[in-house]
Amino acid sequence: MNYSAILSGTLFIALMLSGCGATTTIDEYRPTTKAMQINSEESVVILGRRDAGHYDTDREFIDCVAKKMEGADIQVLPERQFIDSIYPWFEPRTAPKGLKRLTRLMKNPAIKKQVRNQKLRYLVWIDGSTNTHDRGGSISCAIGPGGGGCFGFAQWEKSSIYEAIVWDLSDLTEKGRLRVDSTGTSYLLGVVAPIPLLTPVKNDACTSLGKQLKQFFSVATNSAQNNSDSSD
Amino acid sequence: MPTAKITFFTALLALVLISGCSSSAQVQVQSQFPKVISQPKPINGVIVFSEEFQNYIATPSKNTTIDLGVAQTNLLRNAFSGLFANIEFVSSSDQVSLENALIITPSVTEVQISTPSDTYLNVYEVWIKYSLDIADADGQQIDSWFMPAYGKTPNSFMLSKSNAIEEAAIIALRDAGAKLLLDFYRIPSVYNWVIEKEKQEAQK
Repeated sequence: MNYSAILSGTLFIALMLSGCGATTTIDEYRPTTKAMQINSEESVVILGRRDAGHYDTDREFIDCVAKKMEGADIQVLPERQFIDSIYPWFEPRTAPKGLKRLTRLMKNPAIKKQVRNQKLRYLVWIDGSTNTHDRGGSISCAIGPGGGGCFGFAQWEKSSIYEAIVWDLSDLTEKGRLRVDSTGTSYLLGVVAPIPLLTPVKNDACTSLGKQLKQFFSVATNSAQNNSDSSD
Repeated sequence: MPTAKITFFTALLALVLISGCSSSAQVQVQSQFPKVISQPKPINGVIVFSEEFQNYIATPSKNTTIDLGVAQTNLLRNAFSGLFANIEFVSSSDQVSLENALIITPSVTEVQISTPSDTYLNVYEVWIKYSLDIADADGQQIDSWFMPAYGKTPNSFMLSKSNAIEEAAIIALRDAGAKLLLDFYRIPSVYNWVIEKEKQEAQK
């Protein structure tokens, strides 16, 4: 009897945990299947779009994608460092929304010099947010002199939708687009103690986007680059 | 005895938690702003930072004060340096020594905030409305330019009210610097004044 209770409890928890996986879809568009060449001295910066009224692409997500990219020997410039170095041209009010505006900005010698000094080759714009919806259930907690506890069940769905656009600063062109769409349901069980069963939707979106972006780039060593230049 | 102790600690915990929900905030904006990337025009500019402006403390609501004085002076000092090749900062208009200069006196018209409890949005927002009184070297007013700036926190999760308002105020100040650099020479009266000056210089 005791054994079957433990077994059914374990089964129930396993069932709940298995429901905590996020479903992630990635759409990719590239004009060419060739990987984008980046010199080992050149760097990439990942920037969040913050000009929408009702949401901001959060810095945590940008930092997370940057960390995933760094693992591939790609030098990633911290977002804040880049924005400060080029102030005020990448503030929410002034940041270029299209290549036309970027081309105009790059005609400014002072801005061009800053970009060159930082050996910046690619700019990756990320736009999107994570939202919670479809909340259901209820949980209540109480505390008193004799003790306390929670009882109930709550669930909510989260969705993360982000789009990344890659701009090449050497020829001021768009090199590709990525869209990640991740959804998942989280649960909170109140069985005396609250037991959260959380689905890492945003983290999943970040990992998927970071991995996919990494595949966009191919790091060339300086000597290899020089050899190919001389053979040309 | 143990029950009395538990009741006492429960009451104390409740008190601490409730005091954490206090809605008053005294915010001191402390931030270093990056140097602007800009090509200043060969024009003389005098910026009058009055004592009131340098020590400005906004009271956007009865429970909230934001000490903006030092931060806004630093920011505008930096931003105006990107507009004028020759620049002078004074605290009153009778200290001006640069000749043929545009004399600009900034002031704060209004500061507004909105918190999640006001809007049910998960963000804190700050609006700063500046007014720039622009005059020529003879004291003739050229324009009075209204310059709004806006800042918001990405979200309010895990942020205390003071920290969130400070973060939003810093973003609003950075926005003010961006707006100034982008739009100052587009003000029609300033644009005309600059054209006129250039004509006069060419005739000399």
